[in-house]
Amino acid sequence: MIMKYKILKSSIIAFLIGAVAISCSDSFVDVDSFDEDSESFFNSEEDYQSALIGAYDLLQSTYLNVMLGEIASDNTLAGGESATDVPGIQEVDNMSHTPLNAQLRDIWSWMFAGVNRANYILEFKDKTDFAGKEQVLAEATFLRAYYYFELVKWFGDVPLSVDKRLLFGDQDIVERTPKAEVYAQIELDLIFAAANLPAVQSETGRVTKGAAQALLGKVYLYQDKFSEAATVLEEVINTGPYDLVTDYNSIFEQAGENNIESVFEVQYTDVEGAGFGCLQCSEGNVAVGFNGIRNYTGPDFDSGFSFNVPTQEAYDAFEAGDIRRDVAILDIVAWADQTGATYVEGFEHTGFYNRKYIARKGDLNTGDANLTNPNNYRSIRFADVLLMAAEANNRKSGADDIKAQTYLNRVRNRAELGPVVATGAALTDAIYRERRVELVGEGHRFFDLVRTGRAAQVIPGFTAGKNELFPIPSIEIELAGNRWAQNPGY
Amino acid sequence: MKYTLLILTMIISVANVFGQEFTINGTVKDASINDILPGVNVLVKNQNRGTTTDFDGNFTITNVKVGDVLSFSYIGFVTKEVAIKNSSDLTVLLQEDVSALDEVVVVGYGTSTKKEITGAVTVVGSETIEDLNPTQIEQALQGQVAGVQISAQSGSPGSASNIRIRGISTNGDNRPLILVDGNVIEDLSVINPSDIESINVLKDATAGIYGVRAANGVILITTKTGRKNTELKFNYDFFGGYQETSRKISLLNATEYALLANEAFASGGQAVPFPSVAGLGMGTNWQDEVFQKAPIINQSLTMSGGTEKSTYSVGFSLLNQDGIVGGNKDNFKRYTSRINYNRDLLESLKLTANMIYTGTNKKSLPVGGLGSILFNALNNAPTFEVRDPNGEFTLAEGVGLGAEVRNPLAMIENTFNSVKVDKLSGKLGLNYSFWNDFVVETSLQFNYAEVQGRNFEPIVNYGAGKIGNNQRITLAENKDIFKDYTFDTFLNYDKNIDEDHNIKATLGMSVFETSGLFSGSTRGFFDNPVDFANADIADAVDLRNELKLSGASGRFKERLLSYFTRLQYNYKGKYLLSGIIRRDGSTKFGPRNKFGYFPSGSVGWIVSEEEFLRDNNVLSFMKLRGSYGIIGNDRIPGNAFRGILNGEAAYVLGGQLVFGNAIGILPNPSIQWEEQKTLDIGVDLKLFNDNIDITADYFRKRTEDLLLQPQFSGILGATAPGSSSPVVNAGSVENKGFEFAIGHNSDGSKDFSWGINYNVTFLQNEVLSVNNSVGFIPGGGFGVGQGDLPSRMEAGKPIGYFIGLQTDGIFQNQAEIDAYGAQPNAAPGDIKFVDVNGDGIVNTEDRTDIGNPIPDATMGLNLSFNYKNWDFSSYAFATLGNDIVRNYERTESLVNKSVYALNRWTGEGSTNSYPRLTTDATNNTLFSDFYVEDGSFVRIQNMQLGYTLPIRTVEKLGLDKLRFYVSANNVFTFTEYKGYDPSASSGAPIGAGIDGGFYPVPRTYLLGANLKF
Repeated sequence: MIMKYKILKSSIIAFLIGAVAISCSDSFVDVDSFDEDSESFFNSEEDYQSALIGAYDLLQSTYLNVMLGEIASDNTLAGGESATDVPGIQEVDNMSHTPLNAQLRDIWSWMFAGVNRANYILEFKDKTDFAGKEQVLAEATFLRAYYYFELVKWFGDVPLSVDKRLLFGDQDIVERTPKAEVYAQIELDLIFAAANLPAVQSETGRVTKGAAQALLGKVYLYQDKFSEAATVLEEVINTGPYDLVTDYNSIFEQAGENNIESVFEVQYTDVEGAGFGCLQCSEGNVAVGFNGIRNYTGPDFDSGFSFNVPTQEAYDAFEAGDIRRDVAILDIVAWADQTGATYVEGFEHTGFYNRKYIARKGDLNTGDANLTNPNNYRSIRFADVLLMAAEANNRKSGADDIKAQTYLNRVRNRAELGPVVATGAALTDAIYRERRVELVGEGHRFFDLVRTGRAAQVIPGFTAGKNELFPIPSIEIELAGNRWAQNPGY
Repeated sequence: MKYTLLILTMIISVANVFGQEFTINGTVKDASINDILPGVNVLVKNQNRGTTTDFDGNFTITNVKVGDVLSFSYIGFVTKEVAIKNSSDLTVLLQEDVSALDEVVVVGYGTSTKKEITGAVTVVGSETIEDLNPTQIEQALQGQVAGVQISAQSGSPGSASNIRIRGISTNGDNRPLILVDGNVIEDLSVINPSDIESINVLKDATAGIYGVRAANGVILITTKTGRKNTELKFNYDFFGGYQETSRKISLLNATEYALLANEAFASGGQAVPFPSVAGLGMGTNWQDEVFQKAPIINQSLTMSGGTEKSTYSVGFSLLNQDGIVGGNKDNFKRYTSRINYNRDLLESLKLTANMIYTGTNKKSLPVGGLGSILFNALNNAPTFEVRDPNGEFTLAEGVGLGAEVRNPLAMIENTFNSVKVDKLSGKLGLNYSFWNDFVVETSLQFNYAEVQGRNFEPIVNYGAGKIGNNQRITLAENKDIFKDYTFDTFLNYDKNIDEDHNIKATLGMSVFETSGLFSGSTRGFFDNPVDFANADIADAVDLRNELKLSGASGRFKERLLSYFTRLQYNYKGKYLLSGIIRRDGSTKFGPRNKFGYFPSGSVGWIVSEEEFLRDNNVLSFMKLRGSYGIIGNDRIPGNAFRGILNGEAAYVLGGQLVFGNAIGILPNPSIQWEEQKTLDIGVDLKLFNDNIDITADYFRKRTEDLLLQPQFSGILGATAPGSSSPVVNAGSVENKGFEFAIGHNSDGSKDFSWGINYNVTFLQNEVLSVNNSVGFIPGGGFGVGQGDLPSRMEAGKPIGYFIGLQTDGIFQNQAEIDAYGAQPNAAPGDIKFVDVNGDGIVNTEDRTDIGNPIPDATMGLNLSFNYKNWDFSSYAFATLGNDIVRNYERTESLVNKSVYALNRWTGEGSTNSYPRLTTDATNNTLFSDFYVEDGSFVRIQNMQLGYTLPIRTVEKLGLDKLRFYVSANNVFTFTEYKGYDPSASSGAPIGAGIDGGFYPVPRTYLLGANLKF
């Protein structure tokens, strides 16, 4: 009996001692996370590559820049279901957007998210060395330039951060950097990227030397630096592996992804979706579902939300015999007559759809079908490079119109159109016209009109001196401590 | 020895001279359950002798005579005195002493008595739970406890409720800390309510013994145990019945709908959609099709008993409940089994061991919000049949219905899922008394839960362009594991010095760890036809698990290390003093802020013990008490103080979706816990010989350093996939109010007895500051695509108040519009908005405070009557002064409408309340007070009538008790609100009270039985 008591008592004591021993140290609450800590990362090549994927990720959110850029122009109308379907898109179409516009805030926030993810890598660029690091840094630098170029195109002066993330607290101190300085950094970044990237990457989707050069040429063009633009763009034409695809129609189909004409292409897939609460999280091209034919049942295409519908005027901008018209623009009335397809007319129904980027049949569309279309966005096509080179040669001091004609006519020839022989201002106009029809539906038109000073003439509702830039979202000004001036006119 | 016998004989002989003495036998029983009571003290009054009842409740006392008085006393029962009239056997029934001041109250790491408690603590006993027949514990608290507001998140079986103790004090997680036998429980749906002995709600700073987790209040739940020296007893409870919707919203029938649609299209200059309305008739009433009567059955069996040294209690239960939408497709099943064992290993060493297993299986339907089944029952056109002539579900196609409006019955048919939870909880504790005044207690509590989800999507077409269309059979499965343990050790010291001074001290520590492992969702496809029951993920093709692909760990681990001490002193049992200090270390915060100290103190004065009030006829008890303290809240996501690479980084390279690393929540290294400074001043009164109980409290809770995740500047990159804004300490909120409870219970031993209990809480919530650069935090959502959010947290306003346009009737004619000038684009029949800032134009700058989702007052009323074998109880609760936003109406041109659309503006003078119908883009759909309604309601929550068979009859059947009852829950709701259910709420601090089509809490009719043997 006494034995039993002893056992019990000693067990209690053991219990108590155990309790104290296990837990009395304060270090008990120092628990590491199971996921990597952001500040102790970048210890191997794999870490750098892994962070780089994060920086690429935000390219997918540029679907909105493309769609809204097109709607802002005279090529398309907002469409949708009704006059109140996504008011932010309707406003941009009508040039009645205000600093409260939700879609503009998305573009602002998503592009800065991309900048920060690229800067995250560059902030730690000296931490670990490995063979081929320059190429990783070059890709990150290109991506930072890509996002910053979007930001200056849309908003003008924006806070610039180089090789350093904007961290919590910085929002109260950073200023908007003048556009010219941002452009200067973009140029530096692209020059560095072009110097350190291979002409051909082992994996499709990665940035190449040609992509960096083409984007640099475009950035020069946006600043009217025509000779620099001509030089770098011609380098792409002469040394890059790029060429025009013979069959224009094949470019925008699944089989035509990452083809020889594609200088830079934003990659999408149909295997992972997202919800309306986080459109930027989708791995699919959200714009494609938005552009799709409303309540469509029929061959070839999937249904969509009938946004971004081409105008009659855009349809009529094609010359007779231009094979590109019926590839770029779907005449839904004729198509329905021909195939027996059915659809419903949405808001601002024009009878036309943006055929390059509407939903195709046969995709997995995992998750929400409308948000997970796999159509890659052909961000920089070789045709665009040729037309930019043509424009740069035509507009540079000491213009080389012969070269300009050559590049322009290469594009026209593929469209089965006769050559342009005009020179000077007439050639400039011809190049502008060609840009419109070659690139319709691809999101370039509004910014081309703005940079060439033609926006006020052709975009209904466009106010010169104001609408060249979009407003900084007012909440963004407030959240940065109400220190920044709004863009003029807003 | 011989002498002794001789003397004894002499004494007895002498005594006999004064009266005939005899031996009396008897049995003592518990009056409420007619069960024997062993161990009752039986004393012969004024003679200093007595005995205790034996194992069978029997006693024998020798040498008593007529006129002697026997006193029967037992802990927890009212002491009864019986005068001896003759020598026949006695049966004594003792009443349970439910309102006794000596009742033991669990206060956290120890117990106190009701009399001595200095904090604001409310106890809900098992009787209340029995009366209410809740399927979830939260329902038993609704309206029962002053200061506690319960609102259902949905009427779907098994769905959780929001529990708010004394208001919304944070923008984050407002749930109180819930401990079941010392074990942290986050999900109350796993507990069988009839296993519960008592629920104690700690509302004020005395909850500070729980430190960094106590700011939202603490709920301590104790499960049932057996009683010593009782034989095995069975307790079987059954109830079953059916549920139905408590409400349907009156909608337009097909003819009315078509006529109004035509009017709207004509007004918008469009061709009318229904050129002929003849023959449309009433059309389909989608609500009648969607709602159904649904069964509910609950059974539970408890076995309990005890020996001299041990007690045990074993319970089983089974609940099966269908939903009023979708029936078995919205089903909740719960199985529980429980064992509770206590043993005195030694006189000074006690062992407690208990274990609960719970299995639940929940099937659910999308029932609330945009695109849900109820939303579609309200919005789908009544002109569609349910099925087409081929027997297929009709498609809600056509412009004007939007992508979300679909045939709700097709949705029910095509929804397949289940969430299965297996949970094991347990406790092992030792309690050792030594040196007279010391008790050391140590215990280990644990929870282990496996959650398995399955979601199956068949091939489905809801119509072209509809959301939810699926072209390939898909199955997704996940399995998550959650573990936690709590290890408590504490020492209690209790000492009386010179009778007048009582000192109690507690010193202890607690260690808590919770961890989890998420499998991520594994999704695969089937190219051959297969159904939900037979689909096996092993047979699926193209299997993907995005969590695994992304390389994220899917794991978390959080810990808490705490030391606490409490010192209590009372002088002569009337002056009470108590102080608590707790030191907590939490993994939630960074190195500089890991540890915090949380002090609180309280005082009490039992005024009725003073000479001047002693033996007062009116006031039989009076206690004044006050408490003040600082307690904390650490309910924020883990790792918010450091950057963790658990964001989403996914891109397509080489034609494959590849995953990398990116930052998750943006880090804020300087975050720390919220601090809540809580004041409580209260009084407890008993009047007229304890016949009336009153408790009143004034409280003020000020939450500082509020933990928020507000919107931040986009330049920080928080909108990147898988990332979010940093958690910051920014802002403060104050809740102040007044609680009052009054009750009367008449003597239960009479043929007729009755009881009434009423409680009311007045609450005022005000945001004192929001320290971000805009000065407010927006939240909630209204309509589709409206950029301005309807709810806000802003200084000077209640948290989550509604901000929108203020209406001023309807424009009757163009002249009125022209004269007003601030809405140049309006047409006659449109809503006139007030130009609040007077700048001559109505725009978003004119948005103003148009409502508050927080009720000004909540109250509950219980009534009970007993007459002989009949019992009746009824219970009602009410909330007053809260607003609700009607957000279940889609604004598309061809969706169905509520009948109030019949009162629309049709021409000058027709109405000043409801705008015209048109397909034009108007501003009538902007968020305004047109959509805000008074959400006040009074609900008769429960009515129950029971009959207990007479003891004689029951005994013949070999039973101890048999009671039958009929009961109705959620009987009737008095409200002016147009939607389904004013009681439901999303629970979001900012965005509460916005009704996107709440699943109404069903009305339930039950038949039940309680059996004891």
